[in-house]
Amino acid sequence: MTTISNAPVPASKSARRIPYVSHALLIFLSFLAVFPIYWMIITSLRPASEIYSPSPIPSEITLDHYIRAWTAIPLGRMMLNTVVTAMSQTFFQLLTSILAAYAFAAWSFRGRSVLYALLALTWLVPFQAIMIPNYILLTQMGWRDTLWGLIVPNIGSAFAILLLFQSFKSFPQDLMDAARIDGASNWGILWRVIFPNLRASVASLGVLLFISSWNDYFWPLLVTSRPENSTVQIGLQAFMSSDMNLWGPLMAAATIASLPVLLVYLLLQRQVIDSFVKSGLR
Amino acid sequence: MAEMQGDLRLNSKTLAVEAPKARRRAARKPLLVVIQPYLYLLPAILAIGIWIYRPLLQTIELSFFEWNMLPTAPRTFVGLRNYAQLFSLPDMGRAFANTIVYMLGILPLSVLIPMIIAIVTNDIGRRARTIYRAMIFLPMIIAPVVVAVVWRWIFHPTNGILNTMLELTNLIQNPLRFFSDANLAIWVIIFITGWKLIGFSTLIFSAALSNINRDYIEAAQIDGASRIQIIRFILVPLLSPTILFMIMLTLLFASQWTFAYINVLTQGGPLNATTNIYFLLWNYGFRTFSVGWSSAAATVFFIGFSVIALLFIKLSNRLAFYDN
Repeated sequence: MTTISNAPVPASKSARRIPYVSHALLIFLSFLAVFPIYWMIITSLRPASEIYSPSPIPSEITLDHYIRAWTAIPLGRMMLNTVVTAMSQTFFQLLTSILAAYAFAAWSFRGRSVLYALLALTWLVPFQAIMIPNYILLTQMGWRDTLWGLIVPNIGSAFAILLLFQSFKSFPQDLMDAARIDGASNWGILWRVIFPNLRASVASLGVLLFISSWNDYFWPLLVTSRPENSTVQIGLQAFMSSDMNLWGPLMAAATIASLPVLLVYLLLQRQVIDSFVKSGLR
Repeated sequence: MAEMQGDLRLNSKTLAVEAPKARRRAARKPLLVVIQPYLYLLPAILAIGIWIYRPLLQTIELSFFEWNMLPTAPRTFVGLRNYAQLFSLPDMGRAFANTIVYMLGILPLSVLIPMIIAIVTNDIGRRARTIYRAMIFLPMIIAPVVVAVVWRWIFHPTNGILNTMLELTNLIQNPLRFFSDANLAIWVIIFITGWKLIGFSTLIFSAALSNINRDYIEAAQIDGASRIQIIRFILVPLLSPTILFMIMLTLLFASQWTFAYINVLTQGGPLNATTNIYFLLWNYGFRTFSVGWSSAAATVFFIGFSVIALLFIKLSNRLAFYDN
């Protein structure tokens, strides 16, 4: 008998062989996935004298590269910009999406399907098809090289609205009706009935939005021209181009730039994977 | 898991519009009640209208003009000239050909190999699966710039670990110049893009697989089907919605996924070997300030990709075998 599927069929334990081929494949894939990240961290911790060493473990661990990176580029400032940008974007995207998803879930109104279709279609609009007019508008508003320019244009997310609408739609109508009979307003139903019950989906969407926003490259590239006004992604690129051979400090900067996302991943890895897989792609 | 695949299917049909719930109340409602839904929608609609649809329309408008983005410079109406010249614009032929190479090069890494891995490794135990999942998914959450910087270090011609290892094991005599060799560079970018996607894609296929009703497989086994036959005649057809979805994503987004690596690592070089259509649009827009060219090309590619998406959604609705 081949064991093609792992579905919960109570197979007798003795009939189960160890799937060596699967383990070998997955170990290879895991190595491929993890090695570059390991190599980044380990390079950043090596003493400068062994920076080119192929040894997987350094003879001693030092934070020298971190200190150099921190003084070579305004890393603190860029991290702060990124934290503020990513947190604000996430907060506002969640807020605007909760309101919009509620409107779609609770009412039928004129233009509903057109608006929904327009939201769904944004998925097809590539950044490169809208960058020039957005650049012009940013310049006119005086928002280039500012946090406003990084945050305000990204307070809405069609993707978040569509995803939340899926959860809102499946919310039991009875509970909403019961609250309405008790005299709750629409606003009250949203925040006191629906929101507390769907907090888990909102939170995992929030994590996903935070990671996308933290990792975003296109928008900050358009808005900012100076690293100190930009996010850490752009700063990292500038650092790389400025001095090709500072591999230790560069890997230290890359590690710092990844740290928040890696921490979120370590803590919430299951939720992160599930929400990414669910959402198709981001 | 069941939920996952459900959402995935919904996602593959993002264009399908949900039918409004029929809950029309009696006519004559106070104004506030009538405009209420719009008030809830307003912030999101404004943001998306101003920063996505307004610029999209303006790009289409700008495609009929010649302009260098300076506010003081005149915008000259040139009619369809930008479109007529589209494929004779500098570097466009190369960028277009490379874009096809990128799409076809990424497909095995985002669809074929992940599907095979998902099928082959479907017999892995639950606990081991969780650990592997956490590891192979890791590249997906790492920022593209970080990915580019790290691979630049690993692929470094003289000091990178890859060349060092290849030389130590005598596989090569001279270091490979991954980013400056015109024959190699595009494949390195494809590899990096695939590296970021492969684990994610494998998990998508595994989620889809775990959702397949085991009765089909057992029935086939009883009928004496071989493992290959089960894969060929049961699993692959049942996976076809996911396969189509992943192919569509790859074709649509290959150029966007690779853009970051091109911009950080090669700037389109050496000798335009790694440029693609979106990198070219970026260059037209912000290097040579040919707003008309960039806009006309953007409009054509937007329409082209929309048509591809539409075809895939149609195909997916017609061909897909739904396990029910």
